[in-house]
Amino acid sequence: MAPRGSAAATAGMRRRRLGGASTNSSASISGGSGPGSNMLRFYTDDAPGLKISPTVVLVMSLCFIGFVTALHVFGKFYRYRYAGGA
Amino acid sequence: MGGGFRVLHLVRPFLSFLPEVQSADRKVPFREKVIYTVISLFIFLVCSQLPLYGIHSTTGADPFYWMRVILASNRGTVMELGITPIVTSGLVMQLLAGSKIIEVDNNVREDRALLNGAQKLLGILISIGEAVAYVLSGMYGSVGQLGVGNAILIIVQLFFAGIIVICLDELLQKGYGLGSGISLFIATNICENIIWKAFSPTTINSGRGAEFEGAVIALFHLLITRTDKVRALREAFYRQNLPNVTNLLATVLIFLIVIYFQGFRVVLPVRSKNARGQQGSYPIKLFYTSNMPIILQSALVSNLYFISQLLYRRYSGNFLVNLLGKWKESEYSGGQFVPVGGLAYYITAPSSLADMAANPFHALFYLVFMLSACALFSKTWIEVSGSSAKDVAKQLKEQQMVMPGHRESNLQKELNRYIPTAAAFGGMCIGALTVLADFMGAIGSGTGILLAVTIIYQYFETFEKERASELGFFGF
Repeated sequence: MAPRGSAAATAGMRRRRLGGASTNSSASISGGSGPGSNMLRFYTDDAPGLKISPTVVLVMSLCFIGFVTALHVFGKFYRYRYAGGA
Repeated sequence: MGGGFRVLHLVRPFLSFLPEVQSADRKVPFREKVIYTVISLFIFLVCSQLPLYGIHSTTGADPFYWMRVILASNRGTVMELGITPIVTSGLVMQLLAGSKIIEVDNNVREDRALLNGAQKLLGILISIGEAVAYVLSGMYGSVGQLGVGNAILIIVQLFFAGIIVICLDELLQKGYGLGSGISLFIATNICENIIWKAFSPTTINSGRGAEFEGAVIALFHLLITRTDKVRALREAFYRQNLPNVTNLLATVLIFLIVIYFQGFRVVLPVRSKNARGQQGSYPIKLFYTSNMPIILQSALVSNLYFISQLLYRRYSGNFLVNLLGKWKESEYSGGQFVPVGGLAYYITAPSSLADMAANPFHALFYLVFMLSACALFSKTWIEVSGSSAKDVAKQLKEQQMVMPGHRESNLQKELNRYIPTAAAFGGMCIGALTVLADFMGAIGSGTGILLAVTIIYQYFETFEKERASELGFFGF
């Protein structure tokens, strides 16, 4: 673990110096967040497909939630009537 | 090569049917991103509380019990499958592409689109497959009890939920939200679990009178009600059947350790070729692949558990099936099956230190398995996800960046010194931390904690970056 730690330490030092020397022109590259940020999705460019806008996705999900809830409600009614009739 | 291409081209006819969220054609402001993220999270949370319509009972054994938290799924609800389909299809595609069964040329646009489509299609197929398997295996009561209509309704519900998760994940990733759907859902689920275990007000009667489930609440309750304060403290710290304060402290400790390790990085200085004086740095983190290795490892393990349990219930006498895993009903957690033999047992974390001492081979095997699996997954992941030394070198070249003191052709070689090592060693560290967390009995399993911490850390980074770019400090 020792070489790792020292490498990190020197890196930190170097970085501080960079920042001190030129605050405006120094910048780190956007790739810094690493590959972990795009989890399990290989590429984020557009593919041909059924294009939907983000609002549609949200509305679709809400509709689905509503649908399942409605199923529950109707299920209760139906069972109630069924039990009442029998 | 020819055979591989044909496999990928099989996806083409389906490509036009797959739902695809539009990329943002403008820069989405930070506020809007937060709103999209919050709405997605809200939808996810509602879905994971909304019970499935038509199920008869959920009292049977639960083959995914061990993986619930990590896979962001909730028993008996619409989110029964959680993110399993996406993660599994990602795992499969990774293995296929990594082992060169599917040849993908990253430079060809169509290939990338096809691979993306293939992954999505596989995800949808897996969610249908798992839904059918769940219903037929009698998870919600036998098909006879449910009736055919209800059985089909359950499958349809699970299928739609799968599509919604895929779409939400894509929505967040395409730049409308922060981070990715998968990580958001996992982190929420794990944090919910930890908070619940710490502060749950549910009382459980365990023979010694009513006890609170939440560790912190139980601590105060015991301290106040018991006359012998020392014994009360000891019980709060070491009780076996319910979450205790030691578990909570272990969780916090692991949290801190992981945050500390996140800071380890090697920063390579780079310089812009055309703008003089433009200095930059390319950090290579110790956790280069972040939590990917554990996500893939847990996807592998959970699928193995699922298959092994299904097989064991049907053909428990078969030698091969027993080799894969023997299962027994646990005395503690009502009706859950726990692995007691075979491969499934050896890749499960030992439940306690005493268990470890009793069966050191098990502990050793588990350790070796975790470390090697994480290192391997981490190494293949950089190849597949386009973050290997070659890709990074190309990316830097496109941005007209060079390393001072090295020739341009040397860039890849220089990166190659760090990236594969960082990936493999980082993967191993992640694995080791997971094992450590498991041995210390952290709440929500080692894998869960590790995932949660790394995800939360990523979110902090994203927040910082978004803030910075909003303020106009962004160089490139």
